[in-house]
Amino acid sequence: MSGVRAVRISIESACEKQVQEVGLDGTETYLQPLSMSQNLARLAQRIDFSQGSGSEEEEAAGAEGDAPDWAGAGASADQDDEEGLVKFQPSLWPWDSVRNNLRSALTEMCVLYDVLSIVRDKKFMTLDPVSQDALPPKQNPQTLQLISKKKSLAGAAQILLKGAERLTKSVTENQENKLQRDFNSELLRLRQHWKLRKVGDKILGDLSYRSAGSLFPHHGTFEVIKNTDIDLDKKIPEDYCPLDVQIPSDLEGSAYIKVSIQKQAPDIGDLGTVNLFKRPLPKSKPGSPHWQTKLEAAQNVLLCKEIFAQLSREAVQIKSQIPHIVVKNQIISQPFPSLQLSISLCHSSNDKKSQKSATEKQSPEDHLYVLEHNLHLLIREFHKQTLSSIMMPHPASAPFGHKRMRLSGPQAFDKNEINSLQSSEGLLEKIIKQAKHIFLRSRTAATIDSLASRIEDPQIQAHWSNINDVYESSVKVLITSQGYEQICKCHSIRCMQLWAGRY
Amino acid sequence: MGVTCVSQMPVAEGKSVQQTVELLTRKLEILGAEKQGTFCVDCETYHTAASTLGSQGQAGKLMYVMHNSEYPLSCFALFENGPCLIADTNFDVLMVKLKGFFQSAKASKIETRGTRYQYCDFLVKVGTVTMGPSARGISVEVEYGPCVVASDCWSLLLEFLQSFLGSHTPGAPAVFGNRHDAVYGPADTMVQYMELFNKIRKQQQVPVAGIR
Repeated sequence: MSGVRAVRISIESACEKQVQEVGLDGTETYLQPLSMSQNLARLAQRIDFSQGSGSEEEEAAGAEGDAPDWAGAGASADQDDEEGLVKFQPSLWPWDSVRNNLRSALTEMCVLYDVLSIVRDKKFMTLDPVSQDALPPKQNPQTLQLISKKKSLAGAAQILLKGAERLTKSVTENQENKLQRDFNSELLRLRQHWKLRKVGDKILGDLSYRSAGSLFPHHGTFEVIKNTDIDLDKKIPEDYCPLDVQIPSDLEGSAYIKVSIQKQAPDIGDLGTVNLFKRPLPKSKPGSPHWQTKLEAAQNVLLCKEIFAQLSREAVQIKSQIPHIVVKNQIISQPFPSLQLSISLCHSSNDKKSQKSATEKQSPEDHLYVLEHNLHLLIREFHKQTLSSIMMPHPASAPFGHKRMRLSGPQAFDKNEINSLQSSEGLLEKIIKQAKHIFLRSRTAATIDSLASRIEDPQIQAHWSNINDVYESSVKVLITSQGYEQICKCHSIRCMQLWAGRY
Repeated sequence: MGVTCVSQMPVAEGKSVQQTVELLTRKLEILGAEKQGTFCVDCETYHTAASTLGSQGQAGKLMYVMHNSEYPLSCFALFENGPCLIADTNFDVLMVKLKGFFQSAKASKIETRGTRYQYCDFLVKVGTVTMGPSARGISVEVEYGPCVVASDCWSLLLEFLQSFLGSHTPGAPAVFGNRHDAVYGPADTMVQYMELFNKIRKQQQVPVAGIR
């Protein structure tokens, strides 16, 4: 057959895209080839699960026929391999294991369905429950819902009721004890000014100077009480204070120390009858509560008592040439022979009795306010001494006292040295010295003035210094001669020297 | 604090302690001394507890705790030849706490009480030494205030002592001999008192004749 010409055979790949439609002008619209996942879906649909595994080979062969649709030459190579290996392994098609698993699952489900349907009839099979706690009876789902809703609503209602109860309680409390709050805030204000402490159910305070260094044995305790005599129905008065203080009975009223100097001694019968006063109470700062004035007045009374106690103790103990007389509330001493100094504690309580006696006419007092003030200062200095840095800090094992006194034991001080350490002068001596100085100063001024008025030539002028000590004052006395200024103006410096020499 | 000399005055023959003291005080008053109150010097003895002696077997040391009214805030503690401690009066309380280490010797409290006379710069104290209820002797203390060095004023003191003690004037105390030029202190006075008390304690009874 050599004479036959070779026939040209054209082989066209079959991977040509299918034509979807042909347009009117001849253009062809191609179908997009299926993507991998689309292909997969198409193939999975063609699986027939009802076929047994025996027909899998036929299926495999049938399926391989579709294999050319697969893109890729590698797939065709696999197909060739699969055809060759078909005899040895039932299937190497990738989807086969999936199909097998699904098939076995279907089998299981069918079996279960069958068993359940048989069990439901209860003719051939019954279910025997495993012995367990009795389960709650099956309820109608609707009633169950209702009951559960009810329960949850009840829980919410409980919480809300509790809250409401608390609110109503606090509101009623506020309304009833509106002043309860004020008591506490008033107590806080009181605490800012005074020392308070709680003993049992009482609140006590301290108005003594003990913490400031005083050694007076008075306790100085006051009690804070709640003012409950209030009628809620009536209108609350303007100056109502929910807090009241109760001061010790012997500190009631007000007191001051009256120091006066008299030229001639009064009658003996008049001693001890210095009753004085109604000195008007010191004006309290506006806005300060009434307990503040009360407590301050009581503290002042205590301080005056301490001053007087100290003075009277010294008056009795200290030996002096002319002994001091202490009668009731008055100490009388004689700094100079014809002069009498009287220091008295004037304490008036707030009852009606003293108010009556206040209407008596008071003799013009030569009350020396300066000395009274100085007495207060001196006692405060004495207080400070007990707390001074000489006393404290000191070793915890040492006894309290002046630093040098602590050394007096180990250094064997004898009596003279110990006495020199202790302050020699008491309050009374200091006050007497001050009174003496005041008297002498006024006497000196009076003398200079009388001389100046009496003597015409030369002229005497006295300039008293404003700044004085309690024991010393200074005065500059200028003695000039009139007329010499004229001379010194005309004449030379020599005269001025003469003029200056007269000073 | 001046130089002090403490000595014992023997009881006069045929007289009691009280009478001798009265004699002395009268002499002083005639001399011109002024009475200035009373004084008291006392002494307690402690010995170290046996438990603290250890295995060395040394004898317990004696410690004397003394007070002197001249130094009212002080307490003196001394050993025989040892140091003298000057302390606060809290020392007595401390001794109570140290009971385990120092035990009080029985019936050991000895004291001298009497009057204090001031004669210009001299301070003379004449006291009766008593141990318990019985009077054992007489102590005389003379202090010369201005001087603090013993060697400088011993001759002056001696002369003054002679003026009212007469033949019973003592010799220089032992404490002077130790430190001639050192400053005299209260501790030296207490040492003198301690020696005096020991001497008197050794004398069993009030000597009738003047045994020194």
